[in-house]
Amino acid sequence: MAKAKGYSDPKMEEKLKDRYYYREYSNPDFTKKVHDLARTVNHMCFQCGTCTGSCPSAPRSSYRIRLFMRRNVMGLEDESLTDPDLWLCTTCYCCTDRCPRDIAPTDVIMAMRNIAYQRGIVPVNFLKTVQAIYQSGHGVPNNDVNRAVRVRLGLAKDPPTTHSYPEFLPGIRQIIDHWHVKEKADKIVAEAEKHG
Amino acid sequence: MAEAKGHDYALFLGCIAPNRYPGCESAGIACSKKLGINLHPMKGASCCPAPGAFGSIDLNVWYAMAARNVVIAEKMGMDIALECNGCYKSIYEVNEKLKHNDDLRDMVNEVLKTVPDPTDPTKKGTMEFKGTIDVFHLIELYSDPKICGPDRIKESVTRPLTGTRIGVHYGCHLIKPKKERHLGDTENPMWIEELVAALGAEPVQYRKKMQCCGAGGGVRGYDLVHAIDITNEKLGYLHDAKVDAVTEVCPFCQLQFDRGQIEIKEKFGKMWGLPVLHFNELLGLAQGMSPTDLALDMHAIPVDPFLKKIL
Ligand code: SF4
Ligand code: SF4
Repeated sequence: MAKAKGYSDPKMEEKLKDRYYYREYSNPDFTKKVHDLARTVNHMCFQCGTCTGSCPSAPRSSYRIRLFMRRNVMGLEDESLTDPDLWLCTTCYCCTDRCPRDIAPTDVIMAMRNIAYQRGIVPVNFLKTVQAIYQSGHGVPNNDVNRAVRVRLGLAKDPPTTHSYPEFLPGIRQIIDHWHVKEKADKIVAEAEKHG
Repeated sequence: MAEAKGHDYALFLGCIAPNRYPGCESAGIACSKKLGINLHPMKGASCCPAPGAFGSIDLNVWYAMAARNVVIAEKMGMDIALECNGCYKSIYEVNEKLKHNDDLRDMVNEVLKTVPDPTDPTKKGTMEFKGTIDVFHLIELYSDPKICGPDRIKESVTRPLTGTRIGVHYGCHLIKPKKERHLGDTENPMWIEELVAALGAEPVQYRKKMQCCGAGGGVRGYDLVHAIDITNEKLGYLHDAKVDAVTEVCPFCQLQFDRGQIEIKEKFGKMWGLPVLHFNELLGLAQGMSPTDLALDMHAIPVDPFLKKIL
């Protein structure tokens, strides 16, 4: 982000590096896109920090929700989407309940994640859940140990969901395929596995 | 939907209760029945779908898949009852969003048109979100005096949980964000404590009661150590409050607190050994169900120290 000054001493370079943001870093469409997806007044943030102060992820990581809110207002798309902290929000909605500007920071994070995914930036665990649901209709599918216990409890060995009625799976796959999510998930997961 | 015989609801199961803690499902059905709440299976329902995973990737798929589940209940002509906060986030929230946003509803219905009908999978073109039903968490039905209420719960108890101290973990998506829910205060709610007291147990207040379990938003899968560090903090406060068990209303929170304790032992070397019970399991015990009937042996952390106090 920062522009290099060209000092030969790397320590000096780091110390005196340019800390300004320039217009070319900002993409106003990003702010708007987040607004449309999140359906919240993201631009109203006045940086009070109540959100970070409420956040269970903040004390144990470098994740700062307030920083993401600022980046969003400034249209700093790349900086937001390539920061691995984006995926540390537990979606607990504490910040949303407490924000004095009636913003839903949680939904801003979810919108940013959606945009990151569109650009192929997404941790594989999210995609694996998609693959599991595509396969069986369940994010957490049944197994044989559990089937035996269900029978002992007087329940059917599989719940009356897509597990017992797989004829509904094509419909679910159709929904997922409509937005090409499985296709994209397979590609990104295969790519990630190739690179270990 | 009130009838003389009781209240009928379509039961949305989700994934973790039926596939990991089946006792939550069997207890939910059996206990509700005693309280005048009849739960009917939703044939062909799927994952809600997981709000952390799908919501993070493509909100449209999340809306459409959740809407498909809602439509199954619309066709049954029943409101939905469920027993998981994650499911509540997807099913309750999407139901409300589609009721109030025409653009979202139209988009979803465009896709649902091509999806097979739950009453007859050979039929297509009949799936449409109409917005005719409401979605409830079982715990709010238990708490609502018009449906059940603490007094009725108390009457149903045959084995009071006297002498036990229980901490309540509300979880996040049942009550937050508060302006999109209708369940009141989110800083220090006490209505689940009232239900715990109705079972004869002593509800115990503890520090950071409203903190997240740590699992949500895909964080459990993304960074396990980060997730269980949040859990570990809460377990410490529960321990300080000298509780015999923690109860919750979300199988995903349950998984995080229960299996999470094994992971905490592995990663941080600390074994809390705190029994974790879904409110349905607690209610089942108080209504006289046996630990075997509740599949309490499926728990990673043995529930025995708690059982010793009440059996
Ligand atoms: S609480 Fe709201 S206004 Fe304050 S910094 Fe966070 S998002 Fe901005
Ligand atoms: S919803 Fe996310 S950002 Fe907001 S407080 Fe919870 S973990 Fe932090």
